[in-house]
Amino acid sequence: MSVKVEVFSSPGCSKCSQAKEILKTVIEELGKDQVTWRDVNIVDEMDYAVELGILSPPAIAIDGELVFPVLPKPGRLRAEIIERLEKLR
Amino acid sequence: MSTFTIGKVAARAGVSADSIRFYEREGLIKPTNKSGAGYRLYTGEAIRRLNFIKHAQQCGFSLSEIRELLELKGHDRACCNDIYRVAIEKKLQLESKIKALKTMSQALSKLIDICSHDAKPLDACPILGALESSIAKQNARSKNSQSKRLGANP
Repeated sequence: MSVKVEVFSSPGCSKCSQAKEILKTVIEELGKDQVTWRDVNIVDEMDYAVELGILSPPAIAIDGELVFPVLPKPGRLRAEIIERLEKLR
Repeated sequence: MSTFTIGKVAARAGVSADSIRFYEREGLIKPTNKSGAGYRLYTGEAIRRLNFIKHAQQCGFSLSEIRELLELKGHDRACCNDIYRVAIEKKLQLESKIKALKTMSQALSKLIDICSHDAKPLDACPILGALESSIAKQNARSKNSQSKRLGANP
């Protein structure tokens, strides 16, 4: 069982690259078998982004739920993923 | 360079002189200079700017967002990506509003379906009845959550 993280970004968005870097660091710490992630281009998947309630990139959804509508600090993202992993155990 | 009074600029751009004064207070436009008698004078750039403001408003941009777009437009270091970001955010907001409006429309369709079109008195109107019961449910929910909060923090 793993947690599925989706980063909603748009081309040319500098904060989006920052969000992806934060996520990659957290995944490396926790292990790739625990967390799967997907980079979602908002322009390509606008309907899905609206369905989740995203109003601006970057935003992070976990297991199909919008958890971070704005870029979180690495510690907050890590804590959220760890909490969800513990619930799965 | 030819200049125009506020009335002439307003007529050419298809807005009222009051709107131009309002845009000036909001920091969206300013006269190039003033005549000896103190009248505002504008160049053709003001007409282009007013057309931009009108079009952006039609696309759903608020005045503060239009101000941001105009600032980006006049900024040497801004690039197309900055405008692209603002456009994506606005599109997300509009789509989100459309989604909420569709939900409201569906709720109204349900209410319309339960109405039997007859000449019942207002007391028996199913649409008003459904709206009132939904208000009563909302009030009960807010009372419940309030009493839970009070119970948790006496």
